[in-house]
Amino acid sequence: MNWFYSTIQAILNGLLTGALYGLIAMGMALIFGVMRIVNFAHGAFLMLGMYATYVLFQTTGISPYYSFPLAGAVLFVIGYATYMGLLRPIRGQVDFMVILLTMGLALIITDGVQLIFGADYHQINIPLLSKNIRIGSQISINAPWLVSFAIAAVLAVALYFVVTHTMFGRAARAIAQNRYAAPLMGINVNRVQAISFGIGSAAAGIAGALLLPVFYLFPEVGNQFKLKSFVMVVLGGMGSIQGAAIAGLVLGVVESLTSLYWGNEWALAVDFVIFILVLSLKPSGIFGSQRA
Amino acid sequence: MKRFYLLFPCVLAMLIVWAGCHGGEGNTIKIGVVTSLTGKQAAFGQAHKNGYTIALDEINAKGGLLGKKVELDYYDDQSKPDQAVQGVSKLVDQDHVTIILGAYSSESTRAIVPVVTQKKIPLIIPTAVADNVVETGSPWVFRICAGAESFAAATLDFLKNNGDPKTLAIVSENTNFGQANSKSMTEAAKAAGLDLVDSESYQDSSPDYKSLLQRVKNKNPEVVYFASYLLDASTLMRQAEQVRLNPKYYTSAGTGFAAAEFPTPDKGAGKYAEYTFSVSQWLPSAKWKGSAEFDEKFFKLTGAHPAYHAIEAYAALVVAAAAIDGAKSAQSQALRDTLRQINLAETPFGPVKFDSRGQNLHPVLVTQVQEGKYKVVWPLDAAETKPIIPTPEWSKRQ
Repeated sequence: MNWFYSTIQAILNGLLTGALYGLIAMGMALIFGVMRIVNFAHGAFLMLGMYATYVLFQTTGISPYYSFPLAGAVLFVIGYATYMGLLRPIRGQVDFMVILLTMGLALIITDGVQLIFGADYHQINIPLLSKNIRIGSQISINAPWLVSFAIAAVLAVALYFVVTHTMFGRAARAIAQNRYAAPLMGINVNRVQAISFGIGSAAAGIAGALLLPVFYLFPEVGNQFKLKSFVMVVLGGMGSIQGAAIAGLVLGVVESLTSLYWGNEWALAVDFVIFILVLSLKPSGIFGSQRA
Repeated sequence: MKRFYLLFPCVLAMLIVWAGCHGGEGNTIKIGVVTSLTGKQAAFGQAHKNGYTIALDEINAKGGLLGKKVELDYYDDQSKPDQAVQGVSKLVDQDHVTIILGAYSSESTRAIVPVVTQKKIPLIIPTAVADNVVETGSPWVFRICAGAESFAAATLDFLKNNGDPKTLAIVSENTNFGQANSKSMTEAAKAAGLDLVDSESYQDSSPDYKSLLQRVKNKNPEVVYFASYLLDASTLMRQAEQVRLNPKYYTSAGTGFAAAEFPTPDKGAGKYAEYTFSVSQWLPSAKWKGSAEFDEKFFKLTGAHPAYHAIEAYAALVVAAAAIDGAKSAQSQALRDTLRQINLAETPFGPVKFDSRGQNLHPVLVTQVQEGKYKVVWPLDAAETKPIIPTPEWSKRQ
């Protein structure tokens, strides 16, 4: 009987974690969808969002669950500037150059943070951390994760709305469909792409802010999430943001169930098993975008 | 004429290199130290550094060694084994140290054992507990602290005399430290007739161990034995409360569960650390001569009381100094030979004498966190107080 409730609990935990994963992946999917750029600095942006929130918490005591929009704003500016200043000049070059540039950027950001803050780990302690919501005697939900799930869900819906119902969203989708015809329709391609990069980076920054209370902070924290993002973006269908969101939830649940039934170490391996399976069997992912 | 212009920078370069090589000799004795001043295990590296500093000040206050001032040459391995290996190369080949203390973790220490063996430099290990660091047969390795086997033996000894539970689950991190302790406890538990109902190995630094803890809970062990570093120890205990894992005993292989920060709320598990048992190599209340003084000096230096990692570093330097003094030389071979024979009856860390493997037979205590403080509960002749058994269930705690 215990295994039944344990499974329900694992699925719940997986959904909660998966929402955060999904938010990170949506950011990466947006950037890839509009610009065909694989952003290897995505994890570093998440880390910057975490540090910004941490510093704010240490100086003013504002909880990350209130200050996350600031992390989003900071990363939007950084993302916009990165696109305009670093990526736009090398548009038209081989994709490999773009990858190298974002990888280099990630290294610089990570090492820079390590120089300024040191390689030490930091954690914050907020009262919400010890609050658990209990359903019956067998199921419990840790409050901070529920709050971050709610915030991530609202942001995901908002992002989907922006992409499907606003002029900006239509411009972004137009560029995604045909980069050369878009400017002929009067779209300012550079500006839309820069804004998209900014929004995608902001998603990573906000995810970092939401992650801060339940995890700990160190310069290389972004790496594990960056790797997972690749898996999710591929699983969801390259460039599909709703696919990435669903893939996030799926990954969270699969990891959690694997950890329950086979042990914690298998949970990491399963990410990459999924990655390889999707790439070899259905490269276009769950939402099967035609740009596989 | 052009040839002379080339000659000048060459000679200058040679002079610089020569000065660099020989600058270390002369009026100080340099002892190399590898530890984790930054990275995952920075808290322990800092404890090391504080312990080394106290010992260094004492040695220099007494006039140093062989009439010279003693200096410590630190190398920060950033909690990474490959950096520790680089560190040994730098300390030996560039800085010409003749003896090395360190590293902190079992993973880094295991990595540097072949290097010091190859370079023929004696290594004094302060804190790495994995037994494979003293089982390579290298004649250059000396370990001050007790190892994983002793941890398992002491824990089982305590359990047998305090309720004699029959079922055990092991949860260990997956680097050398965790694996060594898992192996030692598995073998020792089998020999003692306990039933190992579950053994989990985890990737450190994850945000979510709830499924792992649920697996342990489903097997219903009376005892859970953790082998974790500080960050994971905190996460595990917090999430153990969320999952409502209620074994009769939370035990551990020290380290994260014995760190000075572990019972604190902002750098550790806070109230979730309460009632956990841990093995310990030393506490400020230990009855060895100099223990209380070390505690005082450490408190004056840092504002907090030391855990055993700090005094292990202190002891390592004290032993190195005794070796240099006894050998009347800082030469590596002479130091090694002296260390083999050394027999210090009294240090604040207890007596130090190395066996044929280079292992010091250091006694292991068992402590319990009571009201946020570590209290010795075993063995009886060292116990300060009685253990609180069984561990109160999470829902019944305030």
